[in-house]
Amino acid sequence: MSPTTAYLIYFVFALGGAGVYFLLPQGDRPRAAVGGVLGLGALVVWLCILTFGGLADAGVSGYFYLFATIAVVAAVRVVTHTKPVYSALYFIMVVVAVAALLVLLGAEFLAVALIIIYAGAILVTYLFVIMLASQGGSPAYDRQAREPFMAVLAGFALMAAVAGRAGEVPISVSEPSGASLAVGVTQMDSSGSNTLAIGEIVMTKYVVALEIAGALLLIAMVGAIALSKKKVPMEGFRPPREPLGEIGKRVKPF
Amino acid sequence: MSPIAEYLVLGSILFALGLVGFMSRRNLIVMFLSTEVMLLGVVVNAVAFARLHHHLEGQAFGLFLLVIAAVEAGLALGMIVLLYRRGGTLDAEAWSLMRG
Repeated sequence: MSPTTAYLIYFVFALGGAGVYFLLPQGDRPRAAVGGVLGLGALVVWLCILTFGGLADAGVSGYFYLFATIAVVAAVRVVTHTKPVYSALYFIMVVVAVAALLVLLGAEFLAVALIIIYAGAILVTYLFVIMLASQGGSPAYDRQAREPFMAVLAGFALMAAVAGRAGEVPISVSEPSGASLAVGVTQMDSSGSNTLAIGEIVMTKYVVALEIAGALLLIAMVGAIALSKKKVPMEGFRPPREPLGEIGKRVKPF
Repeated sequence: MSPIAEYLVLGSILFALGLVGFMSRRNLIVMFLSTEVMLLGVVVNAVAFARLHHHLEGQAFGLFLLVIAAVEAGLALGMIVLLYRRGGTLDAEAWSLMRG
């Protein structure tokens, strides 16, 4: 990768960072349109660099760019949307796009597990809590980000630092013959089933980790039950409004 | 560029976007959604490296990452509900008493 290309990549991430900065909710300054234009510009420039700069690899299918674009745009909306419900829905979009990318990488089992666990279980819990703990309208803490400039600077510096070195990733790695490859099950097998191979490696090489994961889930369940049964002192407790009668008069509840 | 490198860049982008969200948003629920985006970036990275090395270990690692995500979501949402019942707000700034 030539230095010019690296600087172009840094420029793309600076543009994207500016876009996300303007997209973040910042009170009464509606500049989201500017951020959207900047962010889309960064995406277009990035795709142009990859296509015309000779960086794109023939081994990467067009589906990668499609799903990667969906994932990045949806992730930006997750962190910038002012309504938590929409953030959660965009997060489902990220999960589905990442699952598609995992299929492209040959991890079918993990892709399906991702959709079932994330989009099916975790997101439902999130939506449930959002419904339970949402206040009417959009409260001030959703409309005003905290230190948006420093956060964007840190995040996009990290991105640019990683992407600037991306040219040094080897095309393929030849493993030293021995150790892990000697055990047949750890090898990625194109002919066999991915689920079968994952099951074998999890039940043989990583069986201790599997038991620890089960214990961790059990401990988390006990902790969540203990948390939800805890009586809270209700400092900011507001008594519920009395129910209204048929014609709007207040009636005593029973 | 190596085909794996593009997946690694995508993983780092997802991770850093989640980091931006975690640091800058004030709603507790959105903060934890951002950590889930970060975990997805890590999953992409792990599976891409599994592809590079022709191993299954990255995929097994991704499976355990899902377990961690489930545990984190369960405990964090329990605590968020508890804090909401106690304070009536989801603002992270409302609980910054220990920051000094």
